[in-house]
Order: sequence, then structure tokens, then C-alpha cells
Amino acid sequence: MIDRQKPLPWLDALDAIIVRFTVIAGGLGLVFMVLLTFVNVIIMRKMLNNPITGAEDLLILNLVLIVAIAIPFGGRVGAHIEIEIFESRMSPGFARWSLFILKIVGIVLVALLSWRLFEAGVSASKFGEATQQLLISYEPYYYVMSILVGFYGLILVTDAVQLVVRGAIREIGGIQDE
Amino acid sequence: MISMSLIGVVGLLVLFALLALRFPVALSMIFVGTVGTIAATANRFLGLGMSPEQAWERGWKTAMSNLSGEAFEAASNFNLLVIPMFILMGNLAGASGMSRDLFTAAYRWIGHYKGGLASATITACAGFAALSGSSLASAVTMGRVALPEMKRFKYAPELSTGSVAAGGTLGFLIPPSGGMIIYAVLTDQSIGRLFMAGVIPGIILTLLFVGTIWLLVRMKPERGPAGERASAPARRESLISAVPIVLVVGITIGGMYTGFFTPVEASAVGAFLTFVVGAARRSLKWSMTHEIILQTMKATATVFLIIIGAFIFIPFMSLTGLAADMVTFLTSLPIGEVGILIVVILIYMFLGTFLESIAMLVLTIPVVVALATQLGWDLIWFGIIVVIVLEMGMISPPVGINVFVVKSIAPEVPMRTIFKGIWPFWFAMALMIALLVAFPPIAMYLPETMLGQ
Repeated sequence: MIDRQKPLPWLDALDAIIVRFTVIAGGLGLVFMVLLTFVNVIIMRKMLNNPITGAEDLLILNLVLIVAIAIPFGGRVGAHIEIEIFESRMSPGFARWSLFILKIVGIVLVALLSWRLFEAGVSASKFGEATQQLLISYEPYYYVMSILVGFYGLILVTDAVQLVVRGAIREIGGIQDE
Repeated sequence: MISMSLIGVVGLLVLFALLALRFPVALSMIFVGTVGTIAATANRFLGLGMSPEQAWERGWKTAMSNLSGEAFEAASNFNLLVIPMFILMGNLAGASGMSRDLFTAAYRWIGHYKGGLASATITACAGFAALSGSSLASAVTMGRVALPEMKRFKYAPELSTGSVAAGGTLGFLIPPSGGMIIYAVLTDQSIGRLFMAGVIPGIILTLLFVGTIWLLVRMKPERGPAGERASAPARRESLISAVPIVLVVGITIGGMYTGFFTPVEASAVGAFLTFVVGAARRSLKWSMTHEIILQTMKATATVFLIIIGAFIFIPFMSLTGLAADMVTFLTSLPIGEVGILIVVILIYMFLGTFLESIAMLVLTIPVVVALATQLGWDLIWFGIIVVIVLEMGMISPPVGINVFVVKSIAPEVPMRTIFKGIWPFWFAMALMIALLVAFPPIAMYLPETMLGQ
């Protein structure tokens, strides 16, 4: 007998970490992005005619961090679009186990992406991959993206475990589409 | 060696099978793009006489290089900075009650006419679209404000829900539009030029929606009874409340059109000013920041993972040459350019009945852009048409996303009634497309006048 309401304390703890991390790191990233652009454009360039050197570089690197932070969070709040039109025509058993298999495929795929990003980071310095003005190496940013994409893989693992344990996936509550 | 087109067809079939089984669209594209690139590259080298081991190794290396390279390329694309910042701007505007003020202003000025509340909803949706860039955000925020009012004045449920669902789609057309940004990035077009091209069609479509309401109420007046007439001071007050919002839109979008800001700069200035206006009005509370950040990160995740998927999937499609084959097939049909355009639009309309708009956009881009280029169509003009057809998909049964949003706000209204209500607006959109086909300057006048050919 499957208990769809079965409490999973470890998942609640993980959700709390994801939300807190996303609010703090994502929030700082967004604020930095808006303020840097605003100050650079309005104050430094338009008013003082002295734009901040390398502002674009910093914005690009900040974007990489925001995207990396957003992807695993998106995995827990159902942000990654799925086509659910055929779900109602599936038997509950087929719906559950086909989704389970797809979660496994997703885990492998995301793990592959994470690994390749890590490898690209290793070779980034060797190939001189860096920002245009400040010449900041992309290497650490590849690593951050690799880790957080890997974290998305971990979230897919939790989805698969939930499907086995309680037959359904519960996403983080409180995030409604606005 | 097997035909490259066959690999492309198999790739597409696998993609649709994965989508039907509810694999996320982005992951489906990454999967098919990666496995397909391995197969297609190996196949090509096998055809050149290379040994199978070497050919498969080449395929693997190419696919792995694409996987990390394209993912990082998408995440570090400077033009895509506009996405999180415009999303943030829309979330700030929604949370600080600007949508309510827009509706109140429109309501107090035109709500006392028959059908005026529904027209006010459309007008406010158009205004909010200029702040949010999201059709979903427009439908949700405006639906929460407008639907209870229309219920209070005994509006026909199909008119009230239909106007909210249709009005929400304006968020996809009126700049800053998320759909346009994705189209621009994937087709290498200027975001600013595309935004400009969307302004006049956005205004005309708003007027067409209002005209549709007028027609519906004229045919059956009980559909949209007149609301209360607001006093002159109340009207003035509502206008004053809406002034800061108009200023934010004017500075942001106007700054972009005059060339004072690039789209990236405009998005940051817009988000900053929206925050300042919200804080000054004391409608933005510290407690809201949590939700605003999470909503922004959620929408950012949706868009960027899809773009990463598209960046990996599109090279595979190019490699197989399937897109070129489809273009050759379509252009060989004896139906002329307009006929081909109609076929493309009909295919989009069909896909819109079961695919989500952004997914549909990224999946079809390789073929339709190759087609448009082959036929010499202007990609900006064509982009506006594509955006409107995608909007139609948002309200098309059985999976029109805006319809579900409206249903969640008005659970007592049956789905059948909501879908019945959207049809007049759907035809208004079809009319808009016909106008764009007949008179391309509707889209091209602003970008060509302000930025040149």
C-alpha cells in the first residue's frame, strides 16, 4: 500500500536548504546584477562619462552563477516544463514507473553534463578561456556550474526515491506561479 | 551509412516520445541533441571511410564538447541578462500592487460602459505586459484583481474569464517579452529591434480585443453590464496612482526605443525603478522579498534550461540536414509564399493545442527560420507573427496554459465555459496575423524608422 502523504523528513530538510540557499545566493546575485548595471549605466556612463571597466565581464560571470543556482531550485519547484497532456490517459502504474525510468535517464544525463562541465573547467585555463576585459578565467565558473548541475541530478534522485516510496513527487510548496 | 535525414527523423520521434512520457522539454532536447550528435557525427565519418571505432569516438567527442560548451555558452550569454532582470521587474511590479492600480485606473475611466470592466481588464493587461513580459504573470495578477469585480457586476463568465485569459497573452507580445528574447537569441536577431516591432501589433491587438468585447456586448448586452461610474476626483486619483507605473514603462521601454539604453541596460533600470516606485509607495514589504526572489529564480530556471536544451538540440538538427530537407519540401509545394506561410501558421496552431509556447518556439526554430531565410522573409516581421501564433496556443484547448491559470482563480467556472469565452479573442488574434501578413509595416515601421533598415 502506497502512502502518498508519507512524511519524508530528509526531503523537508533538503528543501529548506535549497530554498535558503536560493533566496540568499540568488537574491545577492540579482541585486548585484541590477545595481551594477544601473550604477554603470546611469551614474558612471551617462552622468560621469566614465563606465566601470569590466562591468560586462562581471555581469556575465554573475549570470552564470544565477543560472547555476536556479537550475536545481527549478527542479524542486516544477519549473522545468513537462508536457502532461497524455498523463490522464496513462494507467497509474504506467504513469508511475515510466516516470521513474525517465528520472533515471535524467540522472544519467545530468550527471554526464555535470562531468563534462567539470572537464571543461579543467581545460578552461589551458585554452585561455577567460572574460574579454578583466581576463578572469572561466575555470571556477565551470566548476560552480558543474556542482550545481550535479545538485540538480541529486534532486532527480530524490524524485525517483519519492516515486518508489510514496508513488508521487511532492514539490516545494508555497511557490505558486505568479 | 544511413541517411542523415533518417537520423534526424528518428531523433524527432524519440523527442516526441520523451515529451509524451513527461520528460522535461529541456532534458528531452539535451538527450536527443547529445545522442543524436554522436550518431550523426559517427555516421558522417563512417561515410567518409573511417573505421567504426574511430567514427564513434569522433561522434562521442563532438557530442561531449557540444554538451559542456553549449550549456556554458547559454549561461554566459550577455544578451540573456535581460531575462532575469525583466522577470524581476515583473515580479516586483506584481508584488507591489501595480497591477491593481492599473486595473483601478482603467476601471474608473471605462468601467461604467457596457463591457467596460472586461475592456479595462484588457487595457490593464496591456499595461502590465509592458512591465512583466510574461503572459502567465499578466493572467494571474490581473485575474485575481479583475475576476471578482466582473463577478460582482454579473458579467457572463465566458466573457470575464475569456478576457483575462486573452488579455494575459499580451504579455508575450508587448515588450519586454520573454518569448521575443528567446526568439531573438536563437535566431541571432536584435532584441531591441524585435521589441520595437512588437509595439504597434501589441497596441492593435489590444484594440482588437476591446473591439471584440464591444461586439460581444452589443450582440448580447447582458454579457457585460455597466459598472459604477466613478466620481471625477476618484478618476483623477486613480490616474495619479498610475503615473509612476507609466513613468517606469516610459523610461524603460522608451529609453530602449530612443537608443538611450540597450535592452540589457533597460532591464536593469526597469527593475531598479520598479523597486524604487514600490518602496516609495510603501507597497513593497521586506517580507515579500523572499517570494519575489524565488519566483524570479523559478522563471529563470525554466527559461535557461530550455535555452541550454535548444543550444544542444539545434546543432544536431543542422547536422542531420533535416531542417533543410523540410524547407526544400515546403518550398516545392505549389502554393506560393503566402500559402507556405499559412501552412506554417496552421502547423503552429496545431502544435499549440498540445505544446507549451516556449517549448514549441525552441523546437520549431531550426526549421521555420531556415524556411524564412530561404524565402527571404524578414526575421523580425516573421518573429512577430510567430509570437502571436504562440499566444494563440496559450488559450487553445485542450492545454492552453492561460486557461488553466484562469480556472485556478475562478474554480467555479467550468473549463468548457472558459474555452467558449476565448474563441472570439482567438479569432481577433487570427485577424491580427492576417493584418501583419497583408501589411508588414505594422511590425516593421518602428524598427526601420528608429534603427534603419
